[in-house]
Order: sequence, then C-alpha cells, then structure tokens
Amino acid sequence: MFKLTNATGGYKKTTIIRDVSLSIAENEIVALLGRNGAGKTTVIKYAMGLIDAFGGSTSIDGKELPVSTAKRVKAGIGYVPQGRNVFPRLTVLENVAAAAIACGHNRKDAEERALSDFPMLKPKASVLASSLSGGQQQVLAIARALATKPRILILDEPTEGVQPSIVDEIAEVIRKLNRDKGLAVLVAEQDLDFCLSLADRAYVLDKGVIAREATKSEILSDMELQHELLGV
Amino acid sequence: MEIDYLLVVLLSSLTSASVLIIATLGLAVIFGLMGVVNLAHGEFIMFGAYTALVVTRSGVPFSIAVIVAALVTALFGAIVERVIIRRLYGRLLDTLLATWGLSLVLYQSAVLIFGSVTPGIGMPQSNVRIGDYTISSYMLFLLGVAIVLVLALYWLLTKTGYGIVARAAIQDSETASAIGIESGRINTMTFALGSGLAGFAGAILLPAVPATPGMGFAFVIKAFLTVVVAGPVTLTGTVLAGGLLGSAANIVASFWTTVAGNIVFFMLTMGLLRLYPNGITARWNRKL
Repeated sequence: MFKLTNATGGYKKTTIIRDVSLSIAENEIVALLGRNGAGKTTVIKYAMGLIDAFGGSTSIDGKELPVSTAKRVKAGIGYVPQGRNVFPRLTVLENVAAAAIACGHNRKDAEERALSDFPMLKPKASVLASSLSGGQQQVLAIARALATKPRILILDEPTEGVQPSIVDEIAEVIRKLNRDKGLAVLVAEQDLDFCLSLADRAYVLDKGVIAREATKSEILSDMELQHELLGV
Repeated sequence: MEIDYLLVVLLSSLTSASVLIIATLGLAVIFGLMGVVNLAHGEFIMFGAYTALVVTRSGVPFSIAVIVAALVTALFGAIVERVIIRRLYGRLLDTLLATWGLSLVLYQSAVLIFGSVTPGIGMPQSNVRIGDYTISSYMLFLLGVAIVLVLALYWLLTKTGYGIVARAAIQDSETASAIGIESGRINTMTFALGSGLAGFAGAILLPAVPATPGMGFAFVIKAFLTVVVAGPVTLTGTVLAGGLLGSAANIVASFWTTVAGNIVFFMLTMGLLRLYPNGITARWNRKL
C-alpha cells in the first residue's frame, strides 16, 4: 500500500539517505530500526516531503505523492514528528481541531474521537498544550495525527522521553487502531522492546542505506545483529 | 473638581486609548502574532486613509468607503506578503530593511500622487453634551468601534476554523504543513488580515486624523511599543497595554500639554519594560 522507492535525499547538497526502498501493506505495523544518526528521521522526512529529494519516490496504492507536505497528509499519511511539536499556544482540543479542519474533516467528531481514544487528555482538554508533560504531549501529537484520518501513521521516536506507563498506553492504542481500523504503521525507534512489541517486521538502517530487512523472530534470535546495528 | 469634568476626562482618555488600540491591532497580528517587524505599518494605515478619502470623494458613502479601504489594504498586504515578506520569515534584519524601504516607497508615492497636504473629508461634526462640557460624538463612536473590533478579532482567531489553523501555522509552519495545513497560503491570509486592520484604522480614523503622507509616523512608534509591552498573549495584552498607555498619556495631556502626554507615554513604556522585559503577559497562560 505505502511504498518508498529508491529514496535519496538530504539537506542542501549533502546526501544523507541513499536508495532506501521499503513497503508497508495495509494492516501492517513495520519498524524502522537503526542507531542514532543512521538516517531514520531523514527517511521519514523524505516520506513527508520535508527535506530535499534528490531521487526516488513515495507512493500510496501505486500513485506517486505530490511534493507538498500538506497534500501528502491529505493523501493519507499521518505524521508524529520527533520531539512531538505540539502547538504550544493552542489548547489540547485546538491542536486536534487544527488537523481535522486542515484536512476537511468534522472538527467536533475529531475532538470526540481523540478524547475517547486517549481518555488521559480529557481533564486537559482546554488547557494550553505547552502545559502538558512530555508523555501527554506525545499522546496529543498522536491524537492530532489521527485527526487527519490517515491510512498510514508514521511515528518518529514516540517513546523518547516518555514515562513507561504512557509508552504502554501508546502501544496499546496503536495496536487497537491497527486491529480495528486496519491502520498501517511505520515506527522509527531505538527502543527495541517497544518496536518488537508492535511490529512483525523491521527494516534496519545503517549509514543512510537499508542494511537489512528482518522479521521479528530473526531479530530476536540474532544477538549479533542486535548488538551491531542497534547497540543493545 | 466637578463630576461632569471627571466624566469628560475619563471618556476622552478612553477614546484616546481606543484610537491607539484601533491603530495597533493590525500590528498586533503582523508583529505580535506572526513576528514580522513591519516598519511599513504606519504607511499601511496611511494607505487605508487615502483609499477611503479617494473612494469617499468619488461619491461613495463614508461607511462603505471604510470597508472598501480595509479590503483594498488587505489585498495590498497579501501582495506584499507574496512578493517580499514570504522570503524573509525568521530573518529579522532583512525584514527591517525591506519593510523600511517599503515604507519610504509608500510615503513618497503618497507625496507624488496627493501632495503633502490634503483636504479632509468634511464630515458633519456633532458633539455630545455632558454637564458644562462637550465631547465629540465621533470620538465616542470610536470607543464602540474599538470594543467591537477587539471582540470580533478575538472571535475570529479563537472560535473559527481559520483562526485555529492560522495560529497553528504561525506557531510552527513546518509542523502545521505536516498535519495538512497549507501554511504558505494561510500565512498570506493572516498577513492580509493584519494589513486590512491597518487599512481599516486609517479609514475609520479619517474624520479625526486627516490623511497626510506622513501620518504613519505618528502611529507606528506607539503601535510598536504597545505590542512590545503587550507580550506573548498578543490580543489581550494589546488591549491592556493600549488602554493603559493611551489613557495615561491622554489624562496628562488634558491637564497639561500633548508633549507632556507623550513623555508620560514613553516613560511608562520604559518603566513597564523594566518590570516586564518580556511584556506584561509573559507569565500568562492564555491563548490570545
């Protein structure tokens, strides 16, 4: 369903990722693994149209996506950026509403869905997003991405700086959305446990290229791969 | 001191604060919210004033001329954003130079087209009597205009879909586009909104402040100081700062001289910025 083909890109004239190809089927949760600096965020930004593309393409259902980031979101990619980037001076519900309005969806429905998917946001519904804890902001960033009604959700380091109880809750909601609504998920992570609790398959990135594609059981049984590429 | 005298002083200081707030709201959007140091803000006001003047002289009623002036200035602002400002977001010094240049061009154009003195629009002047004193009914009307304008702007930016999306695009345009917001287009609209408010100010103030090419200078410094004193909670802060500075300056001016009023304005601004270097609303947890 979702495909990156020979993605090559970077910043200004520096190429950071080279010929990265990956595909994710409907209903599938796939992990993107790799050490710090391996290029995970760059691959995701390439998919979102947020960096300079020097070659390759991003497509959904075989249709190449437009260059504009906003149009890619409307074509069905939901994006949860690294560091969350909630809008600090918008309230929690306004953060969700902004995404729904931008994509032409009903604002009230999106707000209700966000609060029912993530009950922890309820008591915070009308406070400014800047006053949430790191974990709550992460949850809000996911709720905001879901308000665009994506077909594939791309998460960049969703567990970074998030307390364990909220990490579990995030994993649970992602599993539920995947099971109930067939949402495809691509998650870039350094936290191997979190990834393997969700994904059945992973791409391992090293120095900007796909070093290996592996199933969950292959990674779990291959200590050397774990050690070499992930530093665990 | 008589009660009617106090009432007149109170009303005239409130109306004078209203004039300051009306003239500042456009800058509150463009500088306070968007962070664009638009040194041509005063000339945008002048642009609106001359547009209203020309339209009124062609026989259109003043009330419609004000709306036309606001719309024309908004359109002009949209063009300025597309051609100049868009390339300069986040580049403070370049923005200063570009908008200063724009202000010089607009000022000189007005001198060339209209000359340095222009006749007013000859509105019938009526006064409201309070005891032994009178106050201009148009100035009282401006007090109402300021209140309605602030409420309308607050509603637009907090309750409507455009307002929420616009604030998101201003706060973080990359993330905004990553949730489907066409940030570029929305920012053009918001800049046009601020410009339109400046044009509206020039037009609605026309009966009180005649159009001259240099009229912008009178507004731009006080408008900037008001927005800086206002701080991060832009709209509420602008109303508070404008209300405080404008009425304080007017009270002093009415007991003494206009120069003394201006000195109080600037001294008060310095004092407030000394106490609140990041603006009076720096610690507030409000959205606008």
